[in-house]
Amino acid sequence: MTKEELLSKLKIIITPYVQNQEGLKNLTENTDFIKDLEINSANLVDVVLDVEDEFDIEIDNEAMEKMLTVKASIEVIEHKLAVK
Amino acid sequence: MIGNDIVDLALSRTESNWKRKGWVQKIFTAIEQHYIFEADHPEIQVWKFWSMKEAVYKAHQRRFGHPPKYNPKDFNCTLGGEVMIDKCVYKTSTIITEKYIYSIAKASNIEYDTQIFDETLRMHPLLLQKIAENYKIDSSIVTIKKDGNGIPMVRIDQKAEDIPISITHHGQYSAFVIGLE
Repeated sequence: MTKEELLSKLKIIITPYVQNQEGLKNLTENTDFIKDLEINSANLVDVVLDVEDEFDIEIDNEAMEKMLTVKASIEVIEHKLAVK
Repeated sequence: MIGNDIVDLALSRTESNWKRKGWVQKIFTAIEQHYIFEADHPEIQVWKFWSMKEAVYKAHQRRFGHPPKYNPKDFNCTLGGEVMIDKCVYKTSTIITEKYIYSIAKASNIEYDTQIFDETLRMHPLLLQKIAENYKIDSSIVTIKKDGNGIPMVRIDQKAEDIPISITHHGQYSAFVIGLE
């Protein structure tokens, strides 16, 4: 899966939880889920669960604690797919 | 050090499905899960523990200047209100109403002032006024700005001050807490 494909899948996953739609329009690798998209911190766990379902991977605590930005999330997904 | 967190219960019901498969397991320790499922009102226990964890996260992050991290499961709540993280113990107190759940966390026996608002817009000017009263200065020279880690910092006359504060918003509710010297 290319980075672009990953990014577009991630975008679909986070969209329902985004409160700042402007941030979604300008989505980049550096986008921060809380600061830029205003995703509620209790919904970050939904993002993690949706990522697990979509990519059929398991996200442990160590990986989950990094998943606050697009870049970190893509790195976690790439890593988990690689060791699958 | 001090931290706070408020949960608007009506919003939490539309925003989150805590019964979703895996949700509770990602956030809560085995012991916390036990307390949740044994509770008379599991939903209330979920959000009580959640607000305790969030309030302690803020106090702990401010105390050590940690960068943001999503590690709710590392915060170990007890039924008595203590929360353990990285060998530190915080005391929390929680107010539960039909509308919201509000927790305050502190690292020491610090005294504090806190206020809850049901209109977010009113909070900011009142918080500035409160700080001004505590330090006997004019509120026009008090500003609050988030630092690089997203922690709100008080500035008096443009100079950063070491005043512990915490701010929380959720849905219809917001609240501040200020540590008193």
